[in-house]
Amino acid sequence: MSEKNFIIAGFGGQGVLLAGEVLANAFMLAGKNVTWYPSYGAEMRGGTVNCEIVESDEDVSEVNKPDADFIVALNQASFDRFLSKIKKGGWMIANSSLIKEIKTRTDINYLFAPINKLAEEVGNIKMANILALGLTAKVSKLVTLDNLIQALDIVIPPHRKNLLPLNIKALKIGYEYDLLPV
Amino acid sequence: MTECLTNKKVLTKGNYAIANAAVLAGCQCYFGYPITPQSEIGEFMSGKMQELKRGYVSAESELAAINMTIGAVSTGVKAMTSSSSCAVALMQEGLSYAATDELPVVLVSVMRGGPGLGNIYPSQGDYFQATKGGGNGDYKLIVLAPSTVQECVDLTYKAFYLAQKYRNPTVLLADGLLGQMMEPVEFYEYPYPEIDTSSWALTGAKGRDGRIIRSYGPLADDRCVFLEKLYAKYNTIEENETQWEEINTEDADIILVSFGSTSRNVKTAMKMLREKGIKAGFFRPITLYPFPSKRLHELSQNTKKFITVEVNMGQMVNDVRLAVNGKCPVELINKGVGVPPSAKEIVTRVEDLL
Repeated sequence: MSEKNFIIAGFGGQGVLLAGEVLANAFMLAGKNVTWYPSYGAEMRGGTVNCEIVESDEDVSEVNKPDADFIVALNQASFDRFLSKIKKGGWMIANSSLIKEIKTRTDINYLFAPINKLAEEVGNIKMANILALGLTAKVSKLVTLDNLIQALDIVIPPHRKNLLPLNIKALKIGYEYDLLPV
Repeated sequence: MTECLTNKKVLTKGNYAIANAAVLAGCQCYFGYPITPQSEIGEFMSGKMQELKRGYVSAESELAAINMTIGAVSTGVKAMTSSSSCAVALMQEGLSYAATDELPVVLVSVMRGGPGLGNIYPSQGDYFQATKGGGNGDYKLIVLAPSTVQECVDLTYKAFYLAQKYRNPTVLLADGLLGQMMEPVEFYEYPYPEIDTSSWALTGAKGRDGRIIRSYGPLADDRCVFLEKLYAKYNTIEENETQWEEINTEDADIILVSFGSTSRNVKTAMKMLREKGIKAGFFRPITLYPFPSKRLHELSQNTKKFITVEVNMGQMVNDVRLAVNGKCPVELINKGVGVPPSAKEIVTRVEDLL
Protein backbone atom coordinates (compact mmCIF):
# COMPACT_ATOMS: atom_id res chain seq x y z
CA MET A 1 0.00 0.00 0.00
CA SER A 2 1.35 3.37 -0.98
CA GLU A 3 0.60 5.81 1.83
CA LYS A 4 2.60 8.80 3.03
CA ASN A 5 1.94 11.37 5.70
CA PHE A 6 3.10 14.90 6.31
CA ILE A 7 3.07 17.11 9.39
CA ILE A 8 3.30 20.84 8.89
CA ALA A 9 4.08 22.69 12.10
CA GLY A 10 4.94 26.17 13.28
CA PHE A 11 3.72 29.24 15.14
CA GLY A 12 0.04 30.12 15.10
CA GLY A 13 -0.19 32.80 12.41
CA GLN A 14 2.39 31.27 10.06
CA GLY A 15 -0.34 29.74 7.92
CA VAL A 16 0.34 26.16 8.93
CA LEU A 17 -3.28 24.96 8.65
CA LEU A 18 -3.79 26.77 5.37
CA ALA A 19 -0.66 25.23 3.86
CA GLY A 20 -1.91 21.82 4.93
CA GLU A 21 -5.28 22.50 3.35
CA VAL A 22 -3.59 23.43 0.07
CA LEU A 23 -1.48 20.27 0.15
CA ALA A 24 -4.52 18.09 0.93
CA ASN A 25 -6.49 19.68 -1.91
CA ALA A 26 -3.58 19.02 -4.29
CA PHE A 27 -3.65 15.32 -3.39
CA MET A 28 -7.43 15.24 -3.90
CA LEU A 29 -6.99 16.82 -7.32
CA ALA A 30 -4.44 14.11 -8.14
CA GLY A 31 -7.14 11.52 -7.43
CA LYS A 32 -5.67 10.38 -4.10
CA ASN A 33 -7.51 9.65 -0.90
CA VAL A 34 -6.46 12.18 1.70
CA THR A 35 -7.17 13.30 5.24
CA TRP A 36 -6.27 16.56 6.98
CA TYR A 37 -6.35 16.76 10.74
CA PRO A 38 -5.39 19.83 12.76
CA SER A 39 -4.18 20.25 16.28
CA TYR A 40 -7.15 22.16 17.62
CA GLY A 41 -7.98 23.63 20.95
CA ALA A 42 -6.20 26.36 22.82
CA GLU A 43 -4.14 27.34 19.76
CA MET A 44 -3.50 31.02 19.31
CA ARG A 45 -1.29 33.44 17.43
CA GLY A 46 2.24 32.87 18.64
CA GLY A 47 1.48 29.43 20.09
CA THR A 48 2.36 26.18 18.31
CA VAL A 49 0.05 24.63 15.77
CA ASN A 50 0.29 21.69 13.41
CA CYS A 51 -1.70 19.60 11.00
CA GLU A 52 -1.29 16.15 9.56
CA ILE A 53 -1.97 15.24 5.95
CA VAL A 54 -2.16 11.58 4.94
CA GLU A 55 -2.33 10.66 1.25
CA SER A 56 -3.05 7.16 0.04
CA ASP A 57 -3.94 5.18 -3.07
CA GLU A 58 -6.37 3.19 -0.93
CA ASP A 59 -8.51 4.22 2.06
CA VAL A 60 -6.37 6.22 4.48
CA SER A 61 -5.37 3.62 7.06
CA GLU A 62 -5.45 5.92 10.08
CA VAL A 63 -5.62 9.56 11.07
CA ASN A 64 -3.08 11.02 13.50
CA LYS A 65 -0.38 8.45 12.89
CA PRO A 66 2.32 7.82 15.48
CA ASP A 67 5.09 8.68 12.97
CA ALA A 68 5.55 10.70 9.78
CA ASP A 69 7.28 10.51 6.40
CA PHE A 70 7.74 14.26 6.08
CA ILE A 71 7.89 16.99 8.70
CA VAL A 72 7.77 20.62 7.67
CA ALA A 73 8.99 22.64 10.65
CA LEU A 74 8.59 26.39 10.39
CA ASN A 75 9.94 27.19 13.87
CA GLN A 76 12.41 25.76 16.40
CA ALA A 77 9.73 24.41 18.77
CA SER A 78 8.22 22.36 15.94
CA PHE A 79 11.64 21.07 14.88
CA ASP A 80 12.40 19.93 18.43
CA ARG A 81 8.99 18.39 18.96
CA PHE A 82 8.67 16.43 15.73
CA LEU A 83 12.26 15.37 14.97
CA SER A 84 11.83 12.06 16.78
CA LYS A 85 8.57 11.35 14.96
CA ILE A 86 10.16 11.09 11.50
CA LYS A 87 10.35 7.59 10.06
CA LYS A 88 13.79 6.23 9.24
CA GLY A 89 14.69 7.54 5.78
CA GLY A 90 12.04 10.28 6.07
CA TRP A 91 12.57 14.02 5.68
CA MET A 92 12.85 17.03 7.94
CA ILE A 93 12.17 20.18 5.94
CA ALA A 94 13.21 23.01 8.23
CA ASN A 95 13.00 26.78 8.13
CA SER A 96 16.62 27.70 8.84
CA SER A 97 15.64 31.36 9.26
CA LEU A 98 14.31 30.32 12.67
CA ILE A 99 15.87 26.88 13.26
CA LYS A 100 19.46 25.94 14.14
CA GLU A 101 21.05 23.62 11.59
CA ILE A 102 21.86 20.74 13.89
CA LYS A 103 21.53 17.18 12.58
CA THR A 104 21.20 15.04 15.69
CA ARG A 105 19.58 12.13 13.84
CA THR A 106 21.64 10.45 11.16
CA ASP A 107 18.94 8.11 9.83
CA ILE A 108 16.80 10.81 8.19
CA ASN A 109 17.23 13.39 5.43
CA TYR A 110 17.35 17.12 6.15
CA LEU A 111 16.54 20.13 4.06
CA PHE A 112 17.40 23.39 5.79
CA ALA A 113 16.21 26.39 3.77
CA PRO A 114 15.90 30.02 4.89
CA ILE A 115 12.16 30.03 4.23
CA ASN A 116 11.41 33.36 5.92
CA LYS A 117 14.23 35.08 4.05
CA LEU A 118 13.15 33.62 0.72
CA ALA A 119 9.54 34.68 1.39
CA GLU A 120 10.68 38.22 2.16
CA GLU A 121 12.51 38.23 -1.16
CA VAL A 122 9.26 37.21 -2.87
CA GLY A 123 7.76 40.31 -1.29
CA ASN A 124 5.78 39.10 1.71
CA ILE A 125 6.95 37.07 4.70
CA LYS A 126 3.41 35.66 4.97
CA MET A 127 4.21 33.57 1.88
CA ALA A 128 6.59 31.40 3.95
CA ASN A 129 3.99 28.65 4.36
CA ILE A 130 3.34 28.33 0.63
CA LEU A 131 7.04 28.58 -0.17
CA ALA A 132 7.56 25.65 2.19
CA LEU A 133 4.98 23.69 0.21
CA GLY A 134 7.06 24.24 -2.93
CA LEU A 135 10.06 22.76 -1.14
CA THR A 136 7.93 19.87 0.10
CA ALA A 137 6.67 19.09 -3.38
CA LYS A 138 10.22 19.04 -4.73
CA VAL A 139 11.59 16.85 -1.96
CA SER A 140 8.69 14.39 -1.74
CA LYS A 141 8.04 14.02 -5.49
CA LEU A 142 4.48 13.09 -4.45
CA VAL A 143 2.62 16.16 -5.63
CA THR A 144 2.89 18.26 -8.79
CA LEU A 145 3.32 22.01 -9.02
CA ASP A 146 0.23 22.13 -11.26
CA ASN A 147 -1.97 20.45 -8.65
CA LEU A 148 -0.64 22.77 -5.95
CA ILE A 149 -1.42 25.84 -8.08
CA GLN A 150 -4.97 24.56 -8.70
CA ALA A 151 -5.29 23.82 -4.98
CA LEU A 152 -4.23 27.40 -4.14
CA ASP A 153 -7.00 28.65 -6.39
CA ILE A 154 -9.53 26.48 -4.50
CA VAL A 155 -8.35 27.43 -1.01
CA ILE A 156 -7.75 31.16 -1.41
CA PRO A 157 -11.17 32.80 -0.87
CA PRO A 158 -12.65 35.15 -3.50
CA HIS A 159 -11.84 38.33 -1.57
CA ARG A 160 -8.15 37.34 -1.38
CA LYS A 161 -7.72 36.28 -5.00
CA ASN A 162 -5.46 39.29 -5.57
CA LEU A 163 -2.84 37.37 -3.57
CA LEU A 164 -2.96 34.32 -5.87
CA PRO A 165 -0.10 35.44 -8.19
CA LEU A 166 2.20 36.13 -5.23
CA ASN A 167 1.36 32.73 -3.71
CA ILE A 168 2.12 30.99 -7.00
CA LYS A 169 5.41 32.87 -7.20
CA ALA A 170 6.31 31.73 -3.66
CA LEU A 171 5.36 28.16 -4.51
CA LYS A 172 7.65 28.21 -7.55
CA ILE A 173 10.57 29.77 -5.66
CA GLY A 174 10.27 26.93 -3.15
CA TYR A 175 9.97 24.33 -5.86
CA GLU A 176 12.95 25.63 -7.75
CA TYR A 177 15.14 26.08 -4.68
CA ASP A 178 18.51 24.51 -5.32
CA LEU A 179 18.62 21.32 -3.31
CA LEU A 180 22.25 20.58 -4.19
CA PRO A 181 23.82 22.15 -1.10
CA VAL A 182 21.80 19.84 1.15
CA MET B 1 -27.69 25.46 -2.89
CA THR B 2 -26.47 24.79 -6.40
CA GLU B 3 -22.94 25.66 -5.36
CA CYS B 4 -22.88 22.62 -3.05
CA LEU B 5 -23.84 20.26 -5.86
CA THR B 6 -20.66 20.47 -7.85
CA ASN B 7 -20.69 16.84 -8.97
CA LYS B 8 -17.06 16.68 -8.02
CA LYS B 9 -15.22 16.06 -4.83
CA VAL B 10 -14.54 18.91 -2.45
CA LEU B 11 -12.23 18.84 0.54
CA THR B 12 -14.15 19.86 3.63
CA LYS B 13 -14.34 19.47 7.40
CA GLY B 14 -16.80 17.04 8.95
CA ASN B 15 -18.66 19.90 10.62
CA TYR B 16 -19.10 21.79 7.34
CA ALA B 17 -20.11 18.55 5.60
CA ILE B 18 -22.86 17.99 8.18
CA ALA B 19 -24.11 21.57 7.96
CA ASN B 20 -24.04 21.58 4.17
CA ALA B 21 -25.88 18.25 4.01
CA ALA B 22 -28.51 19.51 6.45
CA VAL B 23 -29.19 22.47 4.18
CA LEU B 24 -29.40 20.18 1.15
CA ALA B 25 -31.73 17.88 3.09
CA GLY B 26 -34.16 20.76 3.33
CA CYS B 27 -33.54 21.82 6.92
CA GLN B 28 -35.68 24.95 7.28
CA CYS B 29 -34.59 26.04 10.75
CA TYR B 30 -31.37 25.77 12.76
CA PHE B 31 -31.07 26.62 16.43
CA GLY B 32 -27.80 26.35 18.31
CA TYR B 33 -25.34 27.65 20.83
CA PRO B 34 -21.61 27.44 20.01
CA ILE B 35 -19.34 24.84 21.60
CA THR B 36 -16.08 23.27 20.48
CA PRO B 37 -15.61 20.97 18.58
CA GLN B 38 -18.76 21.61 16.53
CA SER B 39 -18.91 25.40 16.26
CA GLU B 40 -18.38 25.36 12.47
CA ILE B 41 -21.89 23.93 12.08
CA GLY B 42 -23.46 27.03 13.60
CA GLU B 43 -20.99 29.26 11.77
CA PHE B 44 -21.96 27.78 8.40
CA MET B 45 -25.67 27.91 9.20
CA SER B 46 -25.50 31.53 10.37
CA GLY B 47 -24.55 32.56 6.83
CA LYS B 48 -26.24 30.01 4.63
CA MET B 49 -29.67 29.93 6.29
CA GLN B 50 -30.01 33.71 6.01
CA GLU B 51 -28.87 33.62 2.42
CA LEU B 52 -31.60 31.07 1.67
CA LYS B 53 -34.18 32.97 3.74
CA ARG B 54 -34.53 30.05 6.14
CA GLY B 55 -34.51 30.22 9.92
CA TYR B 56 -31.34 30.63 12.01
CA VAL B 57 -31.35 31.48 15.68
CA SER B 58 -28.27 31.75 17.85
CA ALA B 59 -30.03 30.54 20.97
CA GLU B 60 -29.32 31.89 24.45
CA SER B 61 -28.68 28.38 25.77
CA GLU B 62 -28.83 24.73 24.78
CA LEU B 63 -32.11 24.38 26.65
CA ALA B 64 -33.54 27.08 24.46
CA ALA B 65 -32.02 25.52 21.31
CA ILE B 66 -33.58 22.09 21.80
CA ASN B 67 -36.96 23.57 22.72
CA MET B 68 -36.89 25.92 19.73
CA THR B 69 -36.19 22.87 17.56
CA ILE B 70 -39.14 21.06 19.14
CA GLY B 71 -41.33 24.06 18.35
CA ALA B 72 -40.18 24.24 14.74
CA VAL B 73 -40.55 20.53 13.92
CA SER B 74 -44.01 20.45 15.49
CA THR B 75 -45.15 22.59 12.55
CA GLY B 76 -44.02 19.86 10.15
CA VAL B 77 -40.81 21.47 8.82
CA LYS B 78 -37.35 19.94 9.03
CA ALA B 79 -35.26 21.54 11.75
CA MET B 80 -32.12 20.73 13.68
CA THR B 81 -29.83 21.70 16.49
CA SER B 82 -26.23 20.73 17.12
CA SER B 83 -24.02 20.63 20.16
CA SER B 84 -21.41 18.68 22.07
CA SER B 85 -21.25 16.47 25.15
CA CYS B 86 -21.65 18.66 28.25
CA ALA B 87 -24.10 20.86 26.35
CA VAL B 88 -26.03 17.91 24.90
CA ALA B 89 -26.44 16.99 28.57
CA LEU B 90 -28.54 20.13 28.95
CA MET B 91 -30.83 18.96 26.15
CA GLN B 92 -31.83 15.64 27.69
CA GLU B 93 -35.14 16.87 29.06
CA GLY B 94 -36.08 18.20 25.63
CA LEU B 95 -35.14 14.93 23.95
CA SER B 96 -37.39 12.96 26.30
CA TYR B 97 -40.25 15.33 25.50
CA ALA B 98 -39.55 15.12 21.77
CA ALA B 99 -39.54 11.31 21.96
CA THR B 100 -42.89 11.14 23.71
CA ASP B 101 -44.35 13.94 21.58
CA GLU B 102 -43.11 11.90 18.60
CA LEU B 103 -41.40 14.86 17.01
CA PRO B 104 -38.75 14.56 14.28
CA VAL B 105 -36.01 16.55 16.01
CA VAL B 106 -32.55 16.15 14.46
CA LEU B 107 -29.66 16.61 16.87
CA VAL B 108 -26.04 16.57 15.79
CA SER B 109 -23.87 15.58 18.74
CA VAL B 110 -20.14 16.03 18.16
CA MET B 111 -18.58 14.27 21.13
CA ARG B 112 -15.71 15.69 23.22
CA GLY B 113 -14.06 14.56 26.43
CA GLY B 114 -16.11 14.25 29.61
CA PRO B 115 -17.52 13.91 32.19
CA GLY B 116 -18.43 17.39 33.39
CA LEU B 117 -16.86 20.18 31.40
CA GLY B 118 -14.18 17.67 30.36
CA ASN B 119 -12.10 18.88 27.43
CA ILE B 120 -12.39 19.58 23.74
CA TYR B 121 -10.58 16.51 22.41
CA PRO B 122 -12.26 13.67 20.51
CA SER B 123 -14.12 11.09 22.57
CA GLN B 124 -16.79 8.43 22.31
CA GLY B 125 -17.86 8.94 25.90
CA ASP B 126 -21.43 9.85 24.96
CA TYR B 127 -22.43 6.47 23.57
CA PHE B 128 -24.56 5.99 26.68
CA GLN B 129 -25.87 9.55 26.56
CA ALA B 130 -27.09 9.06 22.98
CA THR B 131 -28.32 5.47 23.11
CA LYS B 132 -29.58 5.16 26.68
CA GLY B 133 -30.64 8.73 27.19
CA GLY B 134 -30.40 11.08 30.13
CA GLY B 135 -34.02 12.11 29.94
CA ASN B 136 -36.79 10.52 31.97
CA GLY B 137 -39.03 7.64 31.06
CA ASP B 138 -39.05 4.89 28.46
CA TYR B 139 -37.90 6.27 25.15
CA LYS B 140 -35.38 5.68 22.40
CA LEU B 141 -33.58 7.97 20.01
CA ILE B 142 -32.46 6.77 16.61
CA VAL B 143 -28.65 7.14 16.66
CA LEU B 144 -26.44 7.19 13.56
CA ALA B 145 -22.63 7.06 13.83
CA PRO B 146 -20.56 8.22 10.84
CA SER B 147 -16.93 7.11 10.47
CA THR B 148 -15.83 9.30 7.56
CA VAL B 149 -16.57 12.81 6.39
CA GLN B 150 -18.50 11.34 3.44
CA GLU B 151 -20.66 9.43 5.90
CA CYS B 152 -21.25 12.72 7.76
CA VAL B 153 -23.06 13.76 4.57
CA ASP B 154 -24.82 10.44 3.91
CA LEU B 155 -26.03 9.97 7.47
CA THR B 156 -27.15 13.59 7.90
CA TYR B 157 -29.54 13.03 4.99
CA LYS B 158 -30.62 9.79 6.57
CA ALA B 159 -31.13 11.42 9.98
CA PHE B 160 -33.66 13.86 8.54
CA TYR B 161 -35.42 11.07 6.67
CA LEU B 162 -35.66 8.62 9.57
CA ALA B 163 -36.69 11.36 12.00
CA GLN B 164 -39.66 12.26 9.83
CA LYS B 165 -40.47 8.72 8.68
CA TYR B 166 -40.85 7.50 12.25
CA ARG B 167 -41.65 10.82 13.93
CA ASN B 168 -38.78 10.12 16.29
CA PRO B 169 -35.89 12.31 17.46
CA THR B 170 -32.70 11.26 15.71
CA VAL B 171 -29.10 11.86 16.72
CA LEU B 172 -26.13 12.05 14.39
CA LEU B 173 -23.35 11.02 16.77
CA ALA B 174 -19.99 12.28 15.48
CA ASP B 175 -16.88 13.24 17.45
CA GLY B 176 -14.21 15.92 17.54
CA LEU B 177 -11.96 14.03 15.18
CA LEU B 178 -14.63 13.77 12.48
CA GLY B 179 -15.85 17.29 13.09
CA GLN B 180 -12.39 18.82 12.72
CA MET B 181 -10.80 16.64 10.05
CA MET B 182 -11.06 17.24 6.32
CA GLU B 183 -11.62 14.65 3.64
CA PRO B 184 -12.83 14.77 0.05
CA VAL B 185 -16.61 14.42 -0.11
CA GLU B 186 -19.33 14.50 -2.72
CA PHE B 187 -22.60 16.26 -2.05
CA TYR B 188 -25.67 15.13 -3.93
CA GLU B 189 -29.38 15.82 -3.90
CA TYR B 190 -31.39 14.63 -0.90
CA PRO B 191 -31.99 11.00 -1.89
CA TYR B 192 -35.06 10.21 0.24
CA PRO B 193 -38.77 10.76 -0.41
CA GLU B 194 -40.38 13.71 1.35
CA ILE B 195 -42.62 12.64 4.21
CA ASP B 196 -46.15 14.01 4.43
CA THR B 197 -46.56 15.58 7.86
CA SER B 198 -50.03 17.03 7.26
CA SER B 199 -51.84 14.42 9.40
CA TRP B 200 -50.21 15.60 12.62
CA ALA B 201 -48.33 18.88 12.18
CA LEU B 202 -49.51 22.04 13.88
CA THR B 203 -50.28 24.23 10.92
CA GLY B 204 -53.20 26.27 12.21
CA ALA B 205 -56.67 24.78 12.70
CA LYS B 206 -58.33 26.56 9.77
CA GLY B 207 -60.91 24.19 8.31
CA ARG B 208 -60.17 21.39 10.70
CA ASP B 209 -60.30 20.55 14.40
CA GLY B 210 -57.52 21.81 16.60
CA ARG B 211 -54.62 19.53 17.52
CA ILE B 212 -52.54 19.27 20.65
CA ILE B 213 -49.08 17.75 20.84
CA ARG B 214 -48.20 17.08 24.46
CA SER B 215 -46.31 14.63 26.61
CA TYR B 216 -48.72 14.67 29.56
CA GLY B 217 -50.66 11.43 30.10
CA PRO B 218 -52.66 11.72 33.33
CA LEU B 219 -54.41 8.32 33.26
CA ALA B 220 -52.29 5.25 33.99
CA ASP B 221 -54.17 2.94 31.63
CA ASP B 222 -54.05 5.38 28.72
CA ARG B 223 -50.34 5.86 29.28
CA CYS B 224 -49.78 2.10 29.16
CA VAL B 225 -51.53 1.97 25.78
CA PHE B 226 -49.41 4.86 24.54
CA LEU B 227 -46.15 3.23 25.64
CA GLU B 228 -47.14 -0.06 24.00
CA LYS B 229 -47.72 1.82 20.76
CA LEU B 230 -44.44 3.71 21.12
CA TYR B 231 -42.54 0.46 21.64
CA ALA B 232 -44.32 -1.18 18.70
CA LYS B 233 -42.84 1.68 16.64
CA TYR B 234 -39.39 0.99 18.09
CA ASN B 235 -39.79 -2.67 17.08
CA THR B 236 -40.52 -1.59 13.52
CA ILE B 237 -37.45 0.65 13.55
CA GLU B 238 -35.33 -2.25 14.81
CA GLU B 239 -36.64 -4.54 12.08
CA ASN B 240 -36.25 -2.07 9.22
CA GLU B 241 -33.42 0.30 9.95
CA THR B 242 -30.59 -1.57 11.64
CA GLN B 243 -27.42 -0.88 9.65
CA TRP B 244 -23.85 -2.10 10.03
CA GLU B 245 -20.68 -2.87 8.09
CA GLU B 246 -18.82 -6.16 8.41
CA ILE B 247 -15.65 -7.44 6.77
CA ASN B 248 -13.98 -10.86 7.02
CA THR B 249 -16.40 -12.05 9.70
CA GLU B 250 -17.39 -15.35 8.11
CA ASP B 251 -14.26 -17.30 9.08
CA ALA B 252 -13.13 -15.02 11.91
CA ASP B 253 -11.82 -16.35 15.21
CA ILE B 254 -11.95 -12.88 16.70
CA ILE B 255 -14.23 -10.05 15.64
CA LEU B 256 -13.25 -6.46 16.38
CA VAL B 257 -16.29 -4.25 17.00
CA SER B 258 -15.99 -0.50 16.78
CA PHE B 259 -18.08 2.52 15.77
CA GLY B 260 -17.45 6.03 14.46
CA SER B 261 -14.01 7.48 13.80
CA THR B 262 -12.26 4.84 15.93
CA SER B 263 -13.41 2.13 13.53
CA ARG B 264 -11.08 3.49 10.83
CA ASN B 265 -7.99 2.43 12.79
CA VAL B 266 -9.70 -0.79 13.85
CA LYS B 267 -10.34 -1.76 10.23
CA THR B 268 -6.64 -1.21 9.50
CA ALA B 269 -5.71 -3.26 12.58
CA MET B 270 -7.93 -6.10 11.33
CA LYS B 271 -6.05 -6.11 8.01
CA MET B 272 -2.69 -6.12 9.84
CA LEU B 273 -3.82 -9.06 11.98
CA ARG B 274 -4.87 -10.97 8.85
CA GLU B 275 -1.41 -10.37 7.37
CA LYS B 276 0.01 -11.95 10.52
CA GLY B 277 -2.19 -15.02 9.95
CA ILE B 278 -4.68 -14.19 12.71
CA LYS B 279 -8.24 -14.71 11.56
CA ALA B 280 -9.67 -11.34 12.54
CA GLY B 281 -12.95 -9.83 11.41
CA PHE B 282 -14.33 -6.30 11.56
CA PHE B 283 -17.82 -5.25 12.60
CA ARG B 284 -19.06 -1.66 12.70
CA PRO B 285 -22.52 -0.70 13.93
CA ILE B 286 -23.67 2.28 11.84
CA THR B 287 -26.97 2.60 13.70
CA LEU B 288 -26.20 2.56 17.44
CA TYR B 289 -29.93 2.47 18.02
CA PRO B 290 -31.24 0.25 16.59
CA PHE B 291 -28.17 -1.77 17.58
CA PRO B 292 -27.28 -4.75 15.35
CA SER B 293 -27.72 -7.20 18.24
CA LYS B 294 -29.32 -9.90 16.12
CA ARG B 295 -26.40 -10.04 13.69
CA LEU B 296 -23.85 -10.03 16.52
CA HIS B 297 -25.73 -12.89 18.12
CA GLU B 298 -25.60 -14.86 14.86
CA LEU B 299 -21.87 -14.22 14.55
CA SER B 300 -21.30 -15.36 18.14
CA GLN B 301 -22.26 -18.90 17.12
CA ASN B 302 -19.11 -19.29 15.01
CA THR B 303 -16.50 -16.96 16.40
CA LYS B 304 -14.30 -17.42 19.46
CA LYS B 305 -14.14 -13.90 20.80
CA PHE B 306 -15.36 -10.34 20.32
CA ILE B 307 -13.19 -7.36 21.19
CA THR B 308 -14.70 -3.89 21.18
CA VAL B 309 -12.42 -0.91 20.64
CA GLU B 310 -13.68 2.38 22.01
CA VAL B 311 -12.45 5.82 23.02
CA ASN B 312 -14.23 5.83 26.37
CA MET B 313 -14.03 3.66 29.47
CA GLY B 314 -16.12 0.88 27.90
CA GLN B 315 -19.69 1.63 26.87
CA MET B 316 -20.69 -0.15 23.63
CA VAL B 317 -19.00 -3.26 25.01
CA ASN B 318 -22.07 -3.70 27.23
CA ASP B 319 -24.42 -3.84 24.25
CA VAL B 320 -22.15 -6.34 22.52
CA ARG B 321 -22.18 -8.49 25.67
CA LEU B 322 -25.99 -8.36 25.80
CA ALA B 323 -26.17 -9.34 22.13
CA VAL B 324 -23.71 -12.22 22.52
CA ASN B 325 -25.42 -13.30 25.76
CA GLY B 326 -22.53 -15.34 27.11
CA LYS B 327 -21.97 -17.37 23.96
CA CYS B 328 -18.32 -16.27 23.83
CA PRO B 329 -16.09 -13.80 25.66
CA VAL B 330 -16.38 -10.08 24.88
CA GLU B 331 -13.32 -8.02 25.77
CA LEU B 332 -12.51 -4.33 25.63
CA ILE B 333 -9.61 -2.33 24.23
CA ASN B 334 -10.05 1.30 25.11
CA LYS B 335 -8.55 4.70 25.68
CA GLY B 336 -10.30 7.29 27.83
CA VAL B 337 -10.22 10.32 25.56
CA GLY B 338 -8.36 11.72 22.55
CA VAL B 339 -7.54 10.43 19.08
CA PRO B 340 -8.10 6.67 18.74
CA PRO B 341 -5.29 4.23 19.56
CA SER B 342 -3.08 3.61 16.51
CA ALA B 343 -3.66 0.52 14.38
CA LYS B 344 -0.32 -0.86 15.57
CA GLU B 345 -1.27 -0.38 19.23
CA ILE B 346 -4.62 -2.09 18.63
CA VAL B 347 -2.81 -5.04 17.02
CA THR B 348 -0.47 -5.37 20.01
CA ARG B 349 -3.32 -5.18 22.50
CA VAL B 350 -5.38 -7.71 20.53
CA GLU B 351 -2.39 -10.10 20.56
CA ASP B 352 -2.16 -9.67 24.34
CA LEU B 353 -5.79 -10.79 24.63
CA LEU B 354 -5.36 -13.95 22.51
